Amino acid sequence: MVLEFNKFLGEKNIYKIKELNMQQSLQYIVDKISAKDPLHSKKVKKNLKKLDQEYTDRANIFLGRYIEMLEQDGKTLDFAIDSYLKMIADVNHESLHFLETGEYTSKSFDEVNSRVYNNPEVMAYYMHALLLSQFLWKQHYDILIYFNKVVKDNSDQILNYMEVGGGHGLYISEAINIKGNNANYDVVDISSTSLDIAKKLIKNDSVNFILSDIYDYRPEKKYDFITMGEVMEHVEDPVSLLKQLKRLLKEKGKLFITTPTNAPAIDHIYLFRNADEIREVIKDAGFSIESEISIYTEDLPEELLEKYKISLMYGALLTKTK
Amino acid sequence: MDKAEILAEINMIFNQVMDNDSIQLRFETTAADVEEWDSLTNIQFLLDVEKHFKLRFSSSEIGSFRSIGELCENIKMKIG
Repeated sequence: MVLEFNKFLGEKNIYKIKELNMQQSLQYIVDKISAKDPLHSKKVKKNLKKLDQEYTDRANIFLGRYIEMLEQDGKTLDFAIDSYLKMIADVNHESLHFLETGEYTSKSFDEVNSRVYNNPEVMAYYMHALLLSQFLWKQHYDILIYFNKVVKDNSDQILNYMEVGGGHGLYISEAINIKGNNANYDVVDISSTSLDIAKKLIKNDSVNFILSDIYDYRPEKKYDFITMGEVMEHVEDPVSLLKQLKRLLKEKGKLFITTPTNAPAIDHIYLFRNADEIREVIKDAGFSIESEISIYTEDLPEELLEKYKISLMYGALLTKTK
Repeated sequence: MDKAEILAEINMIFNQVMDNDSIQLRFETTAADVEEWDSLTNIQFLLDVEKHFKLRFSSSEIGSFRSIGELCENIKMKIG
């Protein structure tokens, strides 16, 4: 445990945190959230209570890399926590609108592009907020475990791997841990901010980072395995997005997707109201479901899940329909 | 409407959302005092407050109320 309290960055109470051990960095994050947003901290504490040693180990590696990256950029963990709480405030605001109208606030990609992706002020905090949520939201962790199993089960078939929208670098890092350097890894993303963060977190020369809209991406090769975590809700037409991935996939290739239902956020466009609507899109795009997972983001009785329109995180491994 | 009247009205809304009739809100009440009051029930509570008083909270306001008193103050300011 090394908390270097002696290394201030010129401002009181902002510590430069080196080699922060997991228990401490998590505790530090939880304490800060409790002080700044007591209501949200109740949910975070509830989430963390349910997690096990395996979670601690994974989070340890990830947060260690992340803190290092923050330091290289002259930022602190406090910056990341503030970013996360800013996103929570956005989500709360979007949730009020969603519960009132039953709709997301953004309807088109152009709208979200100018509001978020092309807005440096928003992107500066948003990507960091999403990163922290990967380990503070239990559903993200459960999906990661499912992804790990899926990649392990299909490891022998993966030579060309692609990830679409790989902002946090978490999935591809898992894939590399499992497959090692015996595969070609490509990350395709529309946002340079997102690619930049992924590059710094993954720190692996064998990964190709490609700045492109997936609809404009025309590689010479086809892929054995494509991962697309939480992208379908960001587009106007998820069927055409999946069809585009189908073109990029080998005949026996597999596609791993995740997407949430009822999840208001500043950059979500397509509203899936339940898992059946996701399955319908999958079928319409010409895919079959090999396996799937669904996790509600709150532990509540069924009538309250419905009443509060609680989000369900859905993940699935897909194959091309014959 | 003065702050005490606002408090009485939001107390009714609060108890309905929390499904608990015995909660007596005070201006000093915070999230630490009420177990059921978390980010999820807070959204439902604020949604019902918005509907009841016909007002809107901004995204920065939603998470900023440290106590029921601060919320009452904000409502008073908005409804005049």
